[in-house]
Amino acid sequence: MKEVFIGRENLLKLIGRWAKDHRVYVPVTFDIMNHPETPDYELVKEEVPASLELHGACPAQTPKSFLFYSREVVSKYPNSNPEAEVEAPPTVIVGPRACDLEGLRKFDKVYWSTKHFTEEYDDPFYIEKRENATIVSVDCTAAKETCFCTMVGGKPYIDADFDLNISPLENGYVITVGSEKGEKLMAGSDDLTSEVTGAHRDEQKRIRGSVTEAIERQNAQFKVDVPYDKHELGSDEEAWAYVTRDCVGCGACNRACPTCTCFLLWDQKADGGYERTRNWDTCLSIGYARTGGGGNSRANLPQRLENRIRCKLEYSRDRYKLVTCTGCGRCIDVCMGRIDMREAIKHVVTEMAKA
Amino acid sequence: MKNLYRPIESVIEDIKKETHNITTYRFRPKEPITFKAGQFVELTVPGVGEAPFTPSSNPNVHDTMEITIMRVGCVTEALEKLKVGDTVGIRGPYGNWYNMDDFDDKNIVIVGGGVGLAPLRSLILALFENVEKYKSISIRYGARTPMDIVYADVLPEWEKHPNVDVQLTIDEPYPGWQGTVGVVTVLLEDLPLLTTANVDDLPFTVENAVACVCGPPIMLKFVNMALLEKGFDPNQIYHSMERNMSCGLGKCGHCMMGEYYICKDGAVMTAAQVAKFEDPF
Repeated sequence: MKEVFIGRENLLKLIGRWAKDHRVYVPVTFDIMNHPETPDYELVKEEVPASLELHGACPAQTPKSFLFYSREVVSKYPNSNPEAEVEAPPTVIVGPRACDLEGLRKFDKVYWSTKHFTEEYDDPFYIEKRENATIVSVDCTAAKETCFCTMVGGKPYIDADFDLNISPLENGYVITVGSEKGEKLMAGSDDLTSEVTGAHRDEQKRIRGSVTEAIERQNAQFKVDVPYDKHELGSDEEAWAYVTRDCVGCGACNRACPTCTCFLLWDQKADGGYERTRNWDTCLSIGYARTGGGGNSRANLPQRLENRIRCKLEYSRDRYKLVTCTGCGRCIDVCMGRIDMREAIKHVVTEMAKA
Repeated sequence: MKNLYRPIESVIEDIKKETHNITTYRFRPKEPITFKAGQFVELTVPGVGEAPFTPSSNPNVHDTMEITIMRVGCVTEALEKLKVGDTVGIRGPYGNWYNMDDFDDKNIVIVGGGVGLAPLRSLILALFENVEKYKSISIRYGARTPMDIVYADVLPEWEKHPNVDVQLTIDEPYPGWQGTVGVVTVLLEDLPLLTTANVDDLPFTVENAVACVCGPPIMLKFVNMALLEKGFDPNQIYHSMERNMSCGLGKCGHCMMGEYYICKDGAVMTAAQVAKFEDPF
């Protein structure tokens, strides 16, 4: 794989070049009342923001925001168009981490089945955006407290199946080309880059090793005997009620999750007719599984949180051959009840062992 | 690429009141929608929303589609306000279907509860087209009161087919009701006693029987238990699972049950498939 070294100044220039004919999103830092927030994506307009931040752990949002909009019109009627009208400009997303790319694998399986060998319907709204997007992944250079990718078979860096990958070093970045799409972005950038030296490689290796180690170390307390892809958590009511004790069913975890693919179809009046919108949904809301006449297969909150956690670990594994908790820790970061996926799994597994 | 979420405009051609809260609509879609017995469609009331329904008409009729609908929520309430000539949207069909090739030479037991007979009607009408292929068709139908019986006018017609027997029951005694009283499982007690004339050369054996069940979840639960107790093979009991099928495409997640999406892997599912769930109904 082709590798080059680039300094920060030149990286900003390179991204600026991409922005000429792409919609480019980059993670930037925010200071809210002198409190540094987790970096989040910003659209590059005239200039690449100087607050671009590629160091640290994953940005606040997942790349699903750009490929599966939180709200999107999917049909207008009457006189609806049999063809899908998709707005999908060439896009570059800089910043997704290994856990995010792993998350997109679930999206690919659900929404782009013909390419990913599942037996689902192909979704034009996802496929066209995905095809027109180049993803520039980034190695994690630090772990946040809630990171646990190594517990679910992941790692904090990417070494296969990517378009373009950036490994942030102390004084610059190593860019690795992983696909044709990535190669296109790098075309004509030789004036900005230099050769990767042995010292760069050593530093990249050292950072990758130390972040992996840090994640393993901070999660030692959550270790369970069951391998991450062999969970059968069962429906022990008491155990799940305990896990759910601080859940308010707000659905923040669903929105922050890189593998939550579910949506709600909502029809409304528009332009003298009607439009159908597709909105991110949350399986924690009481109406989610409600059927006509008031039936509800998951009427209680513990049943719904159980369903969410088992969906990640068991149901997706059984349906798509993919464990869809990627260990990004965002559900823990955003939870106002501070429910910790790792503690939840450990609690249920421990209670099951007792029974 | 084709848009999966697009409703196909369909005109209401006929409205027939079945009971105080159940109505049969006949729709004519602007583009023909062909379905197999057991599959469902998403019906849109413009601006109000979508809900899943299983057509109740003969699947071999392609240019129109009948759906028998009970008023239970906002979509069905809005639908009731529409008139002949108004336009709704339909997309589909979705989900799996009854594998009728497997039914040849078998005793077919059809158990319906309430408006649950509506989806079964499309199966029944399809079976009637080749009624001689099947050993017997036993239709067992339970309704809450005599006034809640759907297709009351055509049930006697159904019984005129050879080897078909129809039995009804109502949940509670009702003034003037001479027939059976009790939940629909009471009608499963005398399955072998077919009332048709040539019953002698059509012995009912459970090994050679399939059951198709549709009704409220509580009914499915008890019918399932009763049929298993009678010795039915769990692979030969077809339930019509009730979940909130919203997209019909196996994506939106609302109808999820374990690793199954009822909209793709159902709604017709065998008792064997759902056996691993503690309370699937």
